Amino acid sequence: MVTFQAHDGPVYSMVSTDRHLLSAGDGEVKAWLWAEILKKGCKELWRRQPPYRTSLEVPEINALLLVPKENSLILAGGDCQLHTMDLETGTFTRALWGHTDYIHCLALRERSPEVLSGGEDGAVRLWDLRTAKEVQTIEVYKHEECSRPHNGRWIGCLATDSDWMVCGGGPALTLWHLRSSTPTTIFPMRAPQKHVTFYQDLILSAGQGRCVNQWQLSGELKAQVPGSSPGLLSLSLNQQPAAPECKVGSARGSGDPGRPGCVDRSVTTLLPLGPDSRRQQLQGGCLYQSGLPSFLPVLLTSSNTPTSISGV
Amino acid sequence: MSSESSKKRKPKVIRSDGAPAEGKRNRSDTEQEGKYYSEEAEVDLRDPGRDYELYKYTCQELQRLMAEIQDLKSRGGKDAAVEIEDRRIQSCVHFMTLKKLNRLAHIRLKKGRDQTHEAKQKVDAYHLQLQNLLYEVMHLQKEITKCLEFKSKHEEIDLVSLEEFYKEAPPDISKAEVTMGDPHQQTLARLDWELEQRKRLAEKYRECLSNKEKILKEIEVKKEYLSSLQPRLNSIMQASLPVQEYLFMPFDQAHKQYETARHLPPPLYVLFVQTTAYGQACDKTLSVAIEGSVDEAKALFKPPEDSQDDESDSDAEEEQTTKRRRPTLGVQLDDKRKEMLKRHPLSVMLDLKCKDDSVLHLTFYYLMNLNIMTVKAKVTTATELITPISAGDLLSPDSVLSCLYPGDHGKKTPNPANQYQFDKVGILTLRDYVLDLGHPYLWVQKLGGLHFPKEQPQHTVIADHSLSASHMETTMKLLKTRVQSRLALHKQFASLEHGIVPVTSDCQYLFPAKVVSRLVKWVTIAHEDYTELHFTKDIVEAGLAGDTNLYYMALVERGTAKLQAAVVLNPGYSSIPPIFQLCLNWKGEKTNNNDDNIRAMESEVNVCYKELCGPQPSHQLLTNQLQRLCVLLDVYLETESHDDSVEGPKEFPQEKMCLRLFRGPSRMKPFKYNHPQGFFSHR
Repeated sequence: MVTFQAHDGPVYSMVSTDRHLLSAGDGEVKAWLWAEILKKGCKELWRRQPPYRTSLEVPEINALLLVPKENSLILAGGDCQLHTMDLETGTFTRALWGHTDYIHCLALRERSPEVLSGGEDGAVRLWDLRTAKEVQTIEVYKHEECSRPHNGRWIGCLATDSDWMVCGGGPALTLWHLRSSTPTTIFPMRAPQKHVTFYQDLILSAGQGRCVNQWQLSGELKAQVPGSSPGLLSLSLNQQPAAPECKVGSARGSGDPGRPGCVDRSVTTLLPLGPDSRRQQLQGGCLYQSGLPSFLPVLLTSSNTPTSISGV
Repeated sequence: MSSESSKKRKPKVIRSDGAPAEGKRNRSDTEQEGKYYSEEAEVDLRDPGRDYELYKYTCQELQRLMAEIQDLKSRGGKDAAVEIEDRRIQSCVHFMTLKKLNRLAHIRLKKGRDQTHEAKQKVDAYHLQLQNLLYEVMHLQKEITKCLEFKSKHEEIDLVSLEEFYKEAPPDISKAEVTMGDPHQQTLARLDWELEQRKRLAEKYRECLSNKEKILKEIEVKKEYLSSLQPRLNSIMQASLPVQEYLFMPFDQAHKQYETARHLPPPLYVLFVQTTAYGQACDKTLSVAIEGSVDEAKALFKPPEDSQDDESDSDAEEEQTTKRRRPTLGVQLDDKRKEMLKRHPLSVMLDLKCKDDSVLHLTFYYLMNLNIMTVKAKVTTATELITPISAGDLLSPDSVLSCLYPGDHGKKTPNPANQYQFDKVGILTLRDYVLDLGHPYLWVQKLGGLHFPKEQPQHTVIADHSLSASHMETTMKLLKTRVQSRLALHKQFASLEHGIVPVTSDCQYLFPAKVVSRLVKWVTIAHEDYTELHFTKDIVEAGLAGDTNLYYMALVERGTAKLQAAVVLNPGYSSIPPIFQLCLNWKGEKTNNNDDNIRAMESEVNVCYKELCGPQPSHQLLTNQLQRLCVLLDVYLETESHDDSVEGPKEFPQEKMCLRLFRGPSRMKPFKYNHPQGFFSHR
């Protein structure tokens, strides 16, 4: 296990390419080489800051998204804009603005290619990358079936399968048909979900509460796999079960570990999805990695701190 | 034949007398030569070889004759008898020859033997002579060596060397002309000189001895004189007492204290010396006194059998008691326990005055059998204190000095050897007797110079001045800070119980001007109650909630929202910050398990406590933390997003200025107050 201090403040999101690990937190995105990390080094490869409009407060970066076709990275966060950065040159090519409040999450719709973003203002917006314009807006809270006003209107999690989209947060977890912009299934989960993803024919979600919920597309709860921590913040899937080694990175949110009164509970749990209910738990810390000789697709979760995991 | 044989027989008889009579016989032989036939003479004449031939021939003849006789006898006939007779006579003759030959052989043998014998005797005689001579030679040689080794006594005396001798000795002794040539004379002269010198020196020695006697007598006289001086000096000192008092120089008093100090047991003595020294050098507010009965202390050590071993002391006492009244087993055990825990009659009293005129009175005792020191504390203030209910434990003598150094709770004896002593008398721990005897804190042992190693029990731990000195300053400072922080807390608790959080003016900048949430309740809770609360599990699991801490419950209210805060106060307060755990009851119960913002609030109060310390010494920490808690509750309630479905305005309108209401994936509220701009932002 390798642990090192990556950012001065909390780390809110991470993504990984074949060779690099990208992490973002308070206003900056940094890149690290996996090869270096394997050798227990901790020198950052580069760091960039997107051009922010205001300088009063440095906005955080809540979500990172890789667009492999363009070889670019999309960042979104506190300044309500989506910035695109070219991974080759490091320059910021576009800034998409339209959200009225800060952005929580991003998702990529591969066929078009379009990017979906969900934010605090309660709207899911679709952006066309080629024209750099907003294509569609879905205001989730306005739909009565799914809105839950006592929770708020914020969209915390987003996932898309080209035709379909799942989003949740303040409003209930709902499955939408994108072309018609109508909610089709509402999942009866009371606690606000922090992360959702499509997997084969299931939808996996996690949020407040110990378990990872597995839903069928019809809205039925198929399974609930409990983890060890009281709340979960993000999920990641190991899609290559035959891979001999899986590097897992996990980042801890708060910058001040282990002081009394701020009990650190960033735990990463590995949950197998198959019938085998073996579970592995990795103690969370900063960046670390482990080898997983597993033959089953494995689900990785992290909890209680604003982290995100990416698996290679 | 018979006459022949008789003739032959007679000389044989005479001859058998042997050689010794040879001399006589020789004479008789010569006389009888003509008469007798001497075979011995014949032996010398005949040749033994020829005799041997004759013998062989005779035997042959005999054999031949026998054979012929045999023949004749077997043939028979008349002639035969004559022939036989003839041959018989011949054979007889041969027999005679054989006999003679036999005799000759015997004689020859005898002669040979005699000759050998004579020769042997001669050889023996010579041999003996040789031995004798050799022996003499050896003897003489030994004598010679002895003589050569002889050391005369005069050689053992270390004489002065020759040059010196010739230089120093007077000429009538040295007699140079004579002695130079003759070593014997020289030695004699030297010995003379030696004798003279020795006589002279013996004289001198006698004179010196008598001198010494005289001087000793003089010394005696002078000593008498001096000893008669002592009582006179004492009377002068007594007379000068009123003068000392008049001039405010209590030398006598200090002197008396030092006198009493001589009877202190070693650890108390070390403590006394070090604290007096420290008081004189660094801290004028420290005063030291010795209390107790000096006579009792003297009585402890007077009888010699009691002074060595305290156990024998207790045994002797015990014997007496059993003889007197035969108490029951329980009472005996009780007596033994009392004996084990006995205190030395003298104790050292220390008074520490703090800036605000409050005084910490410390009384140090020494437990003789256990070899540890204990302390009893009392705090007196300049003005009478009204103790608020929650502050009951703050200044209680039992707990005011608890954990002065981290972990030093004073309930266990610091001397590992005591455990064995306790087992003998059935004492489980010292905790039960602590109220009576005082607390055996580790810093007390260190001030007394007693250093107990961690694990192994030692037989003798002696009091060490250097250990005491090195700890003195830190401990005194810690004691003062402890008293002052406790008194500050005391005052603050009085205010908190009335619902007012006393924020001093120099800490006002940490908080916004308007704080709407109010502290409604402040009470102490017991340790067990704290551990049973559902929202304090993390602190308990982290091992931060021991039984030496003090626990309180605060309740902050605003409108319908109630915030419960469980506080852990470490005895080392204000260097160790208190820890808060929160539980908010408003639209459901929110604790750090299910609401990230509550966790953020806890971390604002617990982790970021350094900003809240205030000016040194940081006595304002607790009150500032409570005030911040109120501010945080305000922010939490006001920044809650409005529920559109519910009719009516927000219960808590937003009055605080915030840059952004939510930030980050967990949607944190802006809890950080920025001074002097007066707005809230995220950390």
